[in-house]
Amino acid sequence: MEIGPIWRAMMRNKTGAILIALQIAVTMAIMVNAISIMQEKSRMMSRPSGLDEHNLFTIQSVGFADDFNERVTIEEDLAALRAMPGVVNAFQTNAIPLSGSGWSMGLQTEPGAEIDGTGVGLYFVDEHALDTYGVNLIAGENFSPTDITWRELVTNVWPGKTILTVAMAETLFPDDAMSALGKTVYINDTQPITVTGIIEKMQGSWPSWDGFERVMLVPHLLPWEDTQYLIRTEPGMRDELMPQVEEMLAETNKGRIVRRMRSMDEIRERAYRDESSMIKILTFTIALLVAVTSLGIVGLASFSVNRRTKQIGTRRALGATRVAILRYFMTENFIISLLGVSLGAALTIGLNILMIETFALTRIAWYLVPAAMLILLGIGQAAVLGPARRASSVPPAVATRTV
Amino acid sequence: MLSMQNISMVYRAGLVETHALRNFSLEVEEGDFVSVTGPSGSGKTTFLNIAGLLERFTDGRYELDGRDVSSLSDKESSAVRNEKIGFVFQSFNLIPDLNLFDNVDVPLRYRGFNANERKKRIETVLETVGLASRMKHLPSQLSGGQQQRVAIARALAGKPRLMLADEPTGNLDSKMALGVMELISEINRNGTTIIMVTHDPELAKMANRNVHILDGRVSNGDIEVPLSKVATA
Ligand SMILES: Nc1ncnc2c1ncn2[C@@H]1O[C@H](COP(=O)(O)OP(=O)(O)OP(=O)(O)O)[C@@H](O)[C@H]1O
Ligand SMILES: [Mg+2]
Repeated sequence: MEIGPIWRAMMRNKTGAILIALQIAVTMAIMVNAISIMQEKSRMMSRPSGLDEHNLFTIQSVGFADDFNERVTIEEDLAALRAMPGVVNAFQTNAIPLSGSGWSMGLQTEPGAEIDGTGVGLYFVDEHALDTYGVNLIAGENFSPTDITWRELVTNVWPGKTILTVAMAETLFPDDAMSALGKTVYINDTQPITVTGIIEKMQGSWPSWDGFERVMLVPHLLPWEDTQYLIRTEPGMRDELMPQVEEMLAETNKGRIVRRMRSMDEIRERAYRDESSMIKILTFTIALLVAVTSLGIVGLASFSVNRRTKQIGTRRALGATRVAILRYFMTENFIISLLGVSLGAALTIGLNILMIETFALTRIAWYLVPAAMLILLGIGQAAVLGPARRASSVPPAVATRTV
Repeated sequence: MLSMQNISMVYRAGLVETHALRNFSLEVEEGDFVSVTGPSGSGKTTFLNIAGLLERFTDGRYELDGRDVSSLSDKESSAVRNEKIGFVFQSFNLIPDLNLFDNVDVPLRYRGFNANERKKRIETVLETVGLASRMKHLPSQLSGGQQQRVAIARALAGKPRLMLADEPTGNLDSKMALGVMELISEINRNGTTIIMVTHDPELAKMANRNVHILDGRVSNGDIEVPLSKVATA
């Protein structure tokens, strides 16, 4: 290898090399941090909801007629829905996981207004909810039909039972989450409520909330004109059933309209729309940066091959094989790229520290730095291959033929 | 040392064919010092390029050092150039970004010598051409004559059997030219075969044999042209 003379020759024309090395460094810093952000977003998106997502959909019913009777309509609707072939189960609720709108309350293990409760997402449900969600009850028991009461329109009163997620139980009882079962916790500072069941996993309404996985289920039917149902179908039946359900509800009661029918998949897609487009934008940015950097490398190498045509011919006359010429330019690029990625590693970490401090981002995974170094070195070698091959095909006669 | 029989070289550029050499035959003995003269465009450089394996010829037979070199691979012909031939060019062809030491080092690295061997040889040849003290200088810091001496040192470092020079003094004034010619003569006296293209009849006389090329052929049918004739040509 002739790294010594290549290096010394490069030092005589360093501007181009330095600019490309800097470009590689900046590309790497942005690339790695962008990938880290993408990883964080996709980790966020891939958190399991605990639901049987692909077979769930929701529909809203809004009564408008003067003689509209909420309680009767809801009872009739639920009976009709549960009787439909292909429907596994259905229930009425106040909010849908991941939908962006919902309720939250605070729970505390001791009564008292001076104590700060732990925030929790709240769903009103009946005894059909666990089966409809498809969640896994790991301790205690489901609500029984007798637990379910109609909630008053304006009230401070809470039923005596609740089912919590493990995440919520863990926050309330950090030493042993499962010990929450049977315990009394307090809502509205002082109202006691007993934990009668624990479910493995479920999500609240707001994906970016840090209490996203803290959920409580409260046994109540809601005498609301404007209400929604969550419906679970047999696997693969959802798309077929959705229009049927819509039609059935519209037909059975002319005193209301049905609207906002959405599948759980659609709700998830909307919930993470920002994250998905962020990932797309960052992917595009990385691709663009890498492309520009590759072009820069091609440009610099082409320029340096053209400038050194005569020198290449002379080297050939002095005994360089084609491969030796190819290797010369590949090595030159490797040195530049190595400088670039080494500087890039420092810059990447610097930028990451800055991002952690200013945007509360997470630390980049350690392997991203060496991986990006290798990838960029590879891209550099690939980019320089064309110009280097052109250099290697410069005929030796150039040594005597050009002035 | 070198034997060419009926070499022809045709350049094709589109429909235009240029016969740079036709039925060119020449024998050069080991230890010869041959000057090559001829009008511009007669084929002198073409001959030298073929002799030095810088270009492939169209037809004929060429043996260098007893070996048919018409069908060598790139690697083989590169090795022959590197080991057996030293090139000296009209415009020196030093690598401007490298100092004298690194310039002379170029062919030695292709040869694969270790660092000690290379250093020893570089210092020796730079000593021979009188520039050992300027090893760390760049070519641009030297005069033309000095640059050509470095180029000669570079050609010598590999201890070639054959040195090919295309108008080595073409870019030098007469005083510097003479110095370079003396160096070349001395190299020849030490046993290296030399073929040198020149326009200058006076310099041609310093060789012990002259080949005159006219229109791609050796004029006077491969017979040595008496030097007196060259001088008046
Ligand atoms: N690459 C090429 N393509 C086409 N024609 C060429 C090429 N190289 C040389 N020639 C032609 O071949 C002929 C011989 O050229 P050559 O360079 O050998 O002449 P020369 O004797 O060295 O001339 P000069 O004294 O001017 O250097 C010329 O007519 C030249 O134009
Ligand atoms: Mg010529």
